This record gives sequence, C-alpha cells and structure tokens, in this order.
Amino acid sequence: MNSLTVDNLGKCYHIRIDRERRTRRRFRQWLGYLRDKLSGKSSTASSSLGPRTKAFWALRKASFSVQKGTVLGVIGANGAGKSTLLKILSRVIKPTEGRAVGSGRVVSLLELGAGFNPEVAAHENIFMNAAMYGIPRAEVRQHLEEIIKFAEIEEFIDTPLKFYSSGMYLRLAFSVAINMKPDILLADEILAVGDMSFKRRCLDRVSELSANGLTVLFVSHDMEAIAQICNSVLWLHAGEIKEIGDPDTVIAAYQNAAWAHSDAALSERGRFRNKFAELIGARLMSSMGKDIGAAPTSEDVYVRIRFRVDRAPLTVRCGFDLYRRRQLIFRSVEPVKNVCDEPGLYEGLGRIPADLLSEINYTIHAFLLVESGNRTSSLIIYGAVSFMGYATVDQKLDDTVRKGGMLSPKLDWTQKAVAEASPETHV
Amino acid sequence: MFRYFSSLIGWGWSLIKKIVTSWRVPTLNNNELSSAVEPEIESPEIDHSEQLTDWVIEPRGEGFRSRITELWSYRRIGWFFAVRMVKRLYQGTVLGKFWLLRPIIPIMIGALIFGALLGVPSDGLPYFLFFLVGSAIWMVFERSCLFLTRSLDMNKGLIKKLYFPRLVVPVASMAPSVIYFIVFAVLIFLTLLYYQFTEGRWYLVRGAGPLISLFALCMSVMLSLGIGLFTAIWQVKAKDVRYTLRYVLRFWGYLTPVIYPLSQVPEEYQGWMLLNPMAGYVETFKWGLLGTGNFESKFLFSSLSITALLLCAGMLYFHYNEAMSVDKM
Repeated sequence: MNSLTVDNLGKCYHIRIDRERRTRRRFRQWLGYLRDKLSGKSSTASSSLGPRTKAFWALRKASFSVQKGTVLGVIGANGAGKSTLLKILSRVIKPTEGRAVGSGRVVSLLELGAGFNPEVAAHENIFMNAAMYGIPRAEVRQHLEEIIKFAEIEEFIDTPLKFYSSGMYLRLAFSVAINMKPDILLADEILAVGDMSFKRRCLDRVSELSANGLTVLFVSHDMEAIAQICNSVLWLHAGEIKEIGDPDTVIAAYQNAAWAHSDAALSERGRFRNKFAELIGARLMSSMGKDIGAAPTSEDVYVRIRFRVDRAPLTVRCGFDLYRRRQLIFRSVEPVKNVCDEPGLYEGLGRIPADLLSEINYTIHAFLLVESGNRTSSLIIYGAVSFMGYATVDQKLDDTVRKGGMLSPKLDWTQKAVAEASPETHV
Repeated sequence: MFRYFSSLIGWGWSLIKKIVTSWRVPTLNNNELSSAVEPEIESPEIDHSEQLTDWVIEPRGEGFRSRITELWSYRRIGWFFAVRMVKRLYQGTVLGKFWLLRPIIPIMIGALIFGALLGVPSDGLPYFLFFLVGSAIWMVFERSCLFLTRSLDMNKGLIKKLYFPRLVVPVASMAPSVIYFIVFAVLIFLTLLYYQFTEGRWYLVRGAGPLISLFALCMSVMLSLGIGLFTAIWQVKAKDVRYTLRYVLRFWGYLTPVIYPLSQVPEEYQGWMLLNPMAGYVETFKWGLLGTGNFESKFLFSSLSITALLLCAGMLYFHYNEAMSVDKM
C-alpha cells in the first residue's frame, strides 16, 4: 500500500536579477535616448534590458512512491532540493508542476519548535503547536501524558519556554510532533542538534513507529543515522533524483560522488601534493564502512586516508596525529613500509579500537610519509577530521569516568579481598 | 505605483477567467476523489492503483470554498495570531499596556489645533467630542489597514515553516483594531461623563443609534480587511507598500469628514463623497452616537457596496496569490 506518491513534481523559482542595477541601467539608457533626441540623431540605444528574472528549478521531475511504513532517507548536497521537496509535501510552498498524492495526516518538522511561543508555559505551547498542525484540542489532551513523558519535562511543565535549555526545547518539539499520531512525518535535519542519547531515542522511536505503519521522510547529512533507520534512500542532486533504493547502495554511491567532488576541490588548490604523491583527505569511518561524523566509543572506528601515487614505485606510510584542542594525545604511523608499484588511488586504514576514546572532541591531522629512493618527504593535512566521541545509551559512562581525561581506555581490572594483617600488603 | 496599477488590471482579467474555471467543491472522500481526479501526467513506473488518496498537492489551488471550511478548522491559530498581534503593540516597552492609549495624543493635539485655534465648526457640539468620535472610527480603520498590511510580512518566519491557511493571518490581524475600539469606547464614555458634569448635557443618542454606529464601525474594519488583503500580499513583494499606504491614508483622512462635518462640504462636491466609503461610515458613526449631521441612506449604501466589492475581490486576490507570496518571502 502506498502512503505517498509523488509524480513529476517540480518547483521553479524566478530569481530576480538585481533590481538596483536594472534601474541604473534603465536610467542610463534613458539619458542616452534623451541625448540622441536632443542632438537630433536617431536613437541608437538598445531597448533591451535583459531578462528581469531567471528561472531556477529547485526540484524537477521528481517521481517516486513510498510504501506505508517506510522510512525514506533523503540525502544530497546542500541545495540539492531536499528541503524544497519537504516543503512542497508539507504544503508550505506550492509545486510549479506535477503532483503529490497521499493519505493520512501529515506532520512536518521543517524546523523544530516553529510556532512555539517562548513567553508561554509548555502546557499551552503543546496545544498551540498541535493546533498549528490542525489537530483538535480533544485529541491533544489524550496524548498529553505521552508527550510530556517522552520530552522528559515533567517538572517544567508550567515554566515558560524561554527558560528552557535548547535541549528541552528540542525534546518538546519533537515529542509533540511524534505523538500526534501522524501517518506521514516529514523531518528536515531535526537531529542536527541535541545530544547523542536523545538522538538515539528519537531514532528508536521513529523506527518503532514506522513498524506500525508510520511513513517517514527523513532529511539528514548524518549517513550513520540514515543507514541505521532508513529502509530506502533517495539521493537528490541539483534538483533531480539521482538514485533511489536500497540504503547501502545509494549511500555508497553518494559518498563516492562526494569523495570525487572533494578530490577535485583539493587538487585544484594543490596544497597537499608534491611530485611523488598527493594526499587527498581523511575521513572517519564506522566498522560498517560508513562515513561518520562522531565516533561511538564502544565500537571500533577507522581513520581512512586517501592518497594518490603519481610516481611509482614509492614507499608510503600513512599516519595521523590525534589532537585534543592543541595538545597531541598520540601519533600513529603505519608500522610497515608498503611499496606502491602502480600510480593510482590508494587508501590507508587505521583502526582506533573500541573503548579507547573519551566523550570529547578530537581533531586528526593526517599525514603521509613518502620515500622514493633515498629521498623522503611528507605531506600533511592539518585538521583533516574533527569528530566527537559518544557513548551509546547501553554503556553510558558515569561522570567520574567521562570527565576523566583525553582518553578513557577500558583496562583490565580485578579486585580481591586480602587479609588485613598480611605483610604482603605493604609491598 | 504604476506597477501595481498595471498588475491590478492584468489581475482583473485573469480573475474573471479563474472564477469561471476554479469554483470547485471540496471532496475529501476517497472514493469520490479518486474517480473525480484523473492524473494528468502519468509516469509509467508509478502504479497509481495502490495509492490511497486523502489529499492531492498540485500547482493549482484548492477550490475557494474548501479554503473557507479549512479556515474554520484552523480557527485556534487565528486566536494565537490575534494575541500575538495585540502583544506586539506593547511588548518589550517600559510603559507596557499604557501604549494602548497612544492614539489619544494625536486626538488631543488635533482637537486643540482644529477646534480651538482654527475654529472648525462642529454641528453645534463641543469640538473635542465631535473630533474624538470622528477620529475613533477613522483611527480604528487606519490602524487596522496598517496592521493588515504588515501581517504576512511580520509572521513570515512561521509561514515559511508551517502550513496553515494563510488567510488566518490577516483576519487575525484585525484584533489590534478591536483593542483600539475598546480603548476609544472607554474614552468616549469618559468624555461624555465629563460633559454631563460640566454642561449638564448627555450627548449620547438614546435608543438604537449606538448600535448603528457599532455596525458602521464593524463595516469599516471589514473595509480595511478588503484593502489589507491586497496590501498584505504586496507588502511581501515590496516593502515600500507600507510607507506609501501611510501617506495615502493620511490624505484619505483629510478627504473624509473627520475633522470637519459633512455639512461643511460644498453642496456640489458632496456627490463625490459617495465614492469615499469611509465618509459614509464616519457620518453614520457620528450620527448614531451623537445625532448630528444628516444621515443619508445613500451614503451608507454606497459605502456598504464598495466594502462588499473590495472584500470579495480581496478574498479572491489573496486566495490566488498567497502561494506566490510565500515564494517571495
């Protein structure tokens, strides 16, 4: 059963070409005309001012259908038309062509907390926000408990929203939307803010509801989250659908394209390149092979360093420095010298083991040690990757450990009872 | 200015075409709709037979009547916007709600200049009372026009993020004028009491007169809605609309018998006053409250018909242009 069918949908904006310049040009043209007229010449000034506007298709020829209960991830670079698609589906803007047909209640989260009134208590705001979605008061009253419970704001229910922390604000907004029993949920970058544990809870809730028939369109740049909860992924590129289907394939295709893009950008600048090799970049990767922006401390993560060899044979060692602010925590270099026989693209993969990182921000400086014959050189990208470690909910560290330092490795500990009077205790 | 006129003419013609074609009745019933709406563009890879149809998003708008029923289901938001607009009047100020009394000062000054200095006749009433009553209805109208003009622009943050019938916003923006009306009502009452004590005369008309005044006032607010539905959309496109409107309204105010009674207008020009819908309302308002002037039904009738015309045109204009205005925000 389809919950949503989008058919040849398109949105065209008419972008106005700088009005002031047009006016100035028109004035100058008029002066020229006047001068010609006064001097008795026939007018030579051209009457064309160029087009007033130019057409820009933010979205075009989008056709797809979504089954009931699907979580459809929408990915793409900035300006690819993701938000436009969601805005059309939430009726904020009208499409220029095509149509979308669907069934059930649509709740959109284009911006968390849009329509909240900071002067009023949470209780009133819940009703108000629901009214914005066109949901009657009686129905809200039924779900009020759930909303408050999910948002974890029981104690602050009568506090005006302006005294809320941004996290509480976010939780409330998400909770209102998700508990309105939508049939289709449109979510745009809602998880960009908020702490890791809330993020996890939201994702869990979304997958739980989608099992019960909720259809979700989920826009995000967080590939990890997309891979985790989506059954299907839609990749938009420059307003058109590039690919739609199985999450793993589409995400992989998208990431490869993103890599290719960054390749071009860096080699244009040519800063990380000498005549032997070029250091293209570094990424943080999960054990599943997905690019990630934050590292789960309980899992292995990989630092992937890409480089291109221009003059083979070449001995290359990859490495990186892990920094916390301006302080070096450790340096890691490939222990063996690999010889690259062919020119081409290579990849070095360094594993950061599970239970090593702490819940803080890290920066990685990626480098390449290049040996050709007896000449050695190095290439380095400062701040190639910045990321944050986070604990997953089930192994949340207590505060004493979490605030304990740059790393929080899991060491082997044992404890045993020893006899009080035994002389061995004073060793 | 020229751009608006030319667009108005072009719009007039397209409106006639649209009215003929798009007066559609809403059908939200699944079976009815799926048979009524035939997909015009059919992509081969999409199977439409599996799709349940509750709603359709298309370039063309829904029927006008379905929008009105939709408006009713979103009425709570109207209240939200109304409260927000009223609070805007004084929020963040030190004097707070005292700013609601702000229209009094120009009235004081006006009464002083026109009544005491220039000696404008006032049909035998104390000039202050005469001027206050005339200004009351005019200012309610004027403020309402200006608020309506800014309504979409002021709330664009919300409009861009959430869907609700946009007509809610201008309709709710009439709320500040209701507040102003209450302020003026209190003021007029106090002034009446003052003259009761000093002159021993109660100027207010007894009987149904004040009710007729109230009707005229409501209609003048409706007129402002008719105007505001146009200007609110224009304001989104160009911010100069509000400034222009300010001057237009001031000029209009002088053409309306607020500071002078209609009886002072030379006989041969009185016919022209029929074209000014506010003249009819102001005269009716004064006549209903104070019993002055010669109430002529032809004035009220012409005002009412102009109001009805503008209101209908405004509704349709808004209906067909709101979607475009969101794109321009």
